[in-house]
Amino acid sequence: MSKKKVGIVGVPPLEVIKALNREKCRIIDLDEPQIQKAINLTSPFLPKVYCAILRTVVLNAMHLDLDKIYIDVGPGKCDCAGHVATILESMVDYPVIRCRNMDTVSFGTPVCRTGMPLIDKFMTITGKVQSDASRETLMPCKPTAGFWGVPPRDFSILSIFPETTHIYGWTRCMENKTPADLELEAYFNPDIPTVFFAQSFCAKTALAHHFSKLHPRALYLDCDVTAGSSTRAKIEAFLELSGVRTNRD
Amino acid sequence: MLLADFGTSYCKILDTDRNGPPVIQATRDLESNFCADLATGHNAGRRSKKSINELTALARGGEQLIQDPDFVLLDCGSRDIKYVRYGHNRIIDMGWNAECGASMGFTVELLKKYYDLDYNTIPVPDRGFSVTCGVLGMSHIFDAVIDGITESEAVARFVYGIAMNGYRFAGSPDRLYLSGGLCDNPLFVGSFPCEVVLLGRFVLLAGLQEFMKRDIR
Repeated sequence: MSKKKVGIVGVPPLEVIKALNREKCRIIDLDEPQIQKAINLTSPFLPKVYCAILRTVVLNAMHLDLDKIYIDVGPGKCDCAGHVATILESMVDYPVIRCRNMDTVSFGTPVCRTGMPLIDKFMTITGKVQSDASRETLMPCKPTAGFWGVPPRDFSILSIFPETTHIYGWTRCMENKTPADLELEAYFNPDIPTVFFAQSFCAKTALAHHFSKLHPRALYLDCDVTAGSSTRAKIEAFLELSGVRTNRD
Repeated sequence: MLLADFGTSYCKILDTDRNGPPVIQATRDLESNFCADLATGHNAGRRSKKSINELTALARGGEQLIQDPDFVLLDCGSRDIKYVRYGHNRIIDMGWNAECGASMGFTVELLKKYYDLDYNTIPVPDRGFSVTCGVLGMSHIFDAVIDGITESEAVARFVYGIAMNGYRFAGSPDRLYLSGGLCDNPLFVGSFPCEVVLLGRFVLLAGLQEFMKRDIR
């Protein structure tokens, strides 16, 4: 018997993930690009001017043969996820299960604070959403730069940062398995130059913008589906002018 | 050493082995095989042996030309606008508006040619259009002309609007250091509601010269 394929949106509660793992389901993260298709194919279902992550969710749901979807519509995701759940329910003929992740048990944030290529850190953190295993031990490194925000739709921008970049914001909450922990999400380190990343049209752009104004050395960076040359150049210039050694030095 | 700031409409070129001033050349007229030693700008990657990020070149140029430890430097180009803000001689903020809100300098030149205007003689208007980008801004001009406003007044309101756009983009400073070809446009400069210090078109070249000196050291 083949494994059931279950899509997840956001970070469903740990009990849901445990149950899916017990049932040996194949968990597919619908927030990430899973297929090579044009994102504009979602335009019959969503406006083009909309969060690229949620457009990716719909694109994946359009093309993947799934058995069900769990979508976090609680404070750990965003209001838009609730609206997208409504759209998914009308699109697919399998269950779309709304859940609200209010988990408070901390799993720790070792990956966010260790020395590792930033892109690998993000892949590790997003990959661990599907796991209910306890945290691993990783040595923290001294941070030279910070990345605050959600995982970007386009991971390519992460290659510019040094391995000593610490991750903050919602991605840190993801690793901690407490996506609704607003206090943890609001935390940043004022002593290191930090990029406050905003996925265009995401409700969290307001937080990114707000915190960037509170931080003494910050770059507010808004990016939609893919990062253009000016987006990359902004990051490069910010890090260089802040005295941060990057992978390109 | 041949330094170049490859702008979208104009290239600014400096041969450091000669004592002359930089040369300005229309980008469309640049020879296809022209290659600089060190360059910045949209075409720097394919037209130079080594390229420098535009924001970094702007910041380094500002550091060389501005004595004030706290400053905001805005570069208004043909295609985009970008700024750096320094506090206590340290970069604290920057921005680069290359897509939405773009093509303003290019549009200002297009309008001048089409309507045969002299920006030296057009007074600063008392209000401007709310300009999102060059293309959308032109719609305001067409509508204003249809409503009976003179072409020069309509264009002046457009120019005023893009100056205000740049001013707000740079964080609405009390004093603004201005870089780029629009420094030569008195209507544009006069539209800013703050003190404006003109640095001209060669700030990014000054930044490249600073890189050159560091490489030599």
